[in-house]
Amino acid sequence: MASSRPRRYAGLQASKETDPMRNRLRHSLIAPMALIAGGFLAPAFSQAPNAQFPRTATGEPRLDGIWQALTEANSDIRPHAAGPAPLPELGTFSAIRPGLGIVEGNDIPYQPWAAEKQKENFANRLELDPEGKCFLPGVPRATYLPYPFQILQTPQFVMIAYQFANAVRTIHMEDPGPSPGDSWMGWSVGRWEGDTLVVDVSAFNGQSWFDRAGNFHSDALHVVERYTPMGPNHLLYEATIEDPNVFTRPWNISLPLYRRVEENVELMEFKCVEFVEEKLYRHLRKQPE
Amino acid sequence: MRHQLPASLAFPFLAAACLVASTALGQAPSPFDPDYTAPRTPDGQPDLQGVWSNAILTPLQRPPEFADKAFLTEEEALAYEARRNEETFRGTRDVDAVTDVAYAYNDFWWDWGSKIAPTRRTSLIIDPPDGRLPALTPEGQKRRDAREEHRRLHPADGPEDRLLRERCIVWSGNGDQGAGPPMLPSAYNNNFHLVQTADHVLIIKEMVHETRVVPLDGRPYLPDDVRQWLGNSRGHWEGDTLVVETQNFTDKTYFQGTSEHMQLTERFTRVADDILLYEFTVRDPVALTRPFTAQIPTVKLDGLIYEFACHEANRGMVGLLGGARAEERAAREAANE
Repeated sequence: MASSRPRRYAGLQASKETDPMRNRLRHSLIAPMALIAGGFLAPAFSQAPNAQFPRTATGEPRLDGIWQALTEANSDIRPHAAGPAPLPELGTFSAIRPGLGIVEGNDIPYQPWAAEKQKENFANRLELDPEGKCFLPGVPRATYLPYPFQILQTPQFVMIAYQFANAVRTIHMEDPGPSPGDSWMGWSVGRWEGDTLVVDVSAFNGQSWFDRAGNFHSDALHVVERYTPMGPNHLLYEATIEDPNVFTRPWNISLPLYRRVEENVELMEFKCVEFVEEKLYRHLRKQPE
Repeated sequence: MRHQLPASLAFPFLAAACLVASTALGQAPSPFDPDYTAPRTPDGQPDLQGVWSNAILTPLQRPPEFADKAFLTEEEALAYEARRNEETFRGTRDVDAVTDVAYAYNDFWWDWGSKIAPTRRTSLIIDPPDGRLPALTPEGQKRRDAREEHRRLHPADGPEDRLLRERCIVWSGNGDQGAGPPMLPSAYNNNFHLVQTADHVLIIKEMVHETRVVPLDGRPYLPDDVRQWLGNSRGHWEGDTLVVETQNFTDKTYFQGTSEHMQLTERFTRVADDILLYEFTVRDPVALTRPFTAQIPTVKLDGLIYEFACHEANRGMVGLLGGARAEERAAREAANE
């Protein structure tokens, strides 16, 4: 049976709270709680989690850096056992890596038709998964693809450059008005709630997936992301997923993000178009006479 | 002794002589205020941020009609702009349907700009002084010939035979001139977004969402055998100018005949609130007989860059390859009849 208990990460509890006052309270409680319940909380976060986090001149957390998820959620965002690759020739390349998933409560509240559609998607994932075609990954999937991304933060914009497909995203910190049209990466409008960057993402084209398991949404997708420091080199990433065309209610995901701390780490290029041309255009190649 | 001028008089004479010489060459005075100082970011850097357009009517190379002329007069500039605007912006909707479809684009799409550079230069290339691209070395010519021969024999056997921009990998300039960086204007979407933090610069070129994150911390380049489509960029400040140096290009990219040995230097200087002077120098000892430098005064846009998704719906590639296969089938059938 699926648990409805929110996910826990060493020392910080994922929260559905959106009220900034409660949010601030939550953080202010962390340090005393840690002192009292020291054994319960992992040592890495047993101090006030945000005290050591870099700050901007105006006091917001400075999210600049290269970040990466460390999760098997791209295989399936729900809890899942290991499984074989979609082609036997691949052996363990692209095999399904087992993982606890990132969905709070574990279940995705699909409408009945959509639950069937996800199974079809899974069966045909080798052909249909947009990741396999090097398409722009969409949100939230870009966050937990097994590729790093870099945040560049200014008062006006928070820019996210993703390694996968050279994707890039502009989070508007000043009201840009309504989106001029639908897109793969959506229309992102951000604001600070205490130490949390909250990003409202809408105007998706409905063509991206959540994972390789065929979990999907429509163009009515609405995502509210929350990026919260939980130590000098960790962020808590939370997102609320809404799509009345596909789901029966909003649902949440959460996962930690890890700062890439290697010396001179940089966002190297993964322009994958050339890697998928054979897959996409094989049938249009000139055949030998 | 009589003909010798006192030193105090010689300098003004020299200065006057220089002035005459530069006027004779058509040297226009710089249109930019030498006392301009760019606003500062919170980190104290010159603020170059914003969305800039490099749409411009000035051609990369000096046209033959201006062979000895580096600069236009004001009247010549107006006449040139009027003529180019007339030629460039002629819509195609007033022609028959076949021509209309064949052209595909009309002036709804075109974004060539409507003005030449405010310097009134006759070419974007400012060095060599003739405003023309330098000759290729024998090796550079050999490579260009090989590319052309391949295209002639294999115009559309597979996607790899097509231009990089048709494959949505990197954007090339007009025609078959190769791909950047550097950033040259083209038919449309001539915009880039520059974002600065204390230690990085982000440059997003709208076409093919080419995105470069440039570290400013003086770190070494990637190892020589690690090659990237957009190369590997490192930046630093020289006074108020942002300098971005790029190398480690692939052997599949070429820009005006360069090879994987291209070394690119880009210089961004804000010369007015609404003008970011973009200069680049291309060096390639293997393919070019000498370096060349171009200058584009880019103009600040009051707008945003929106998502450019090209590969995701590349119906053009499907049509190109599918069309080539259809032509081959038709030729086979005709031969069998």
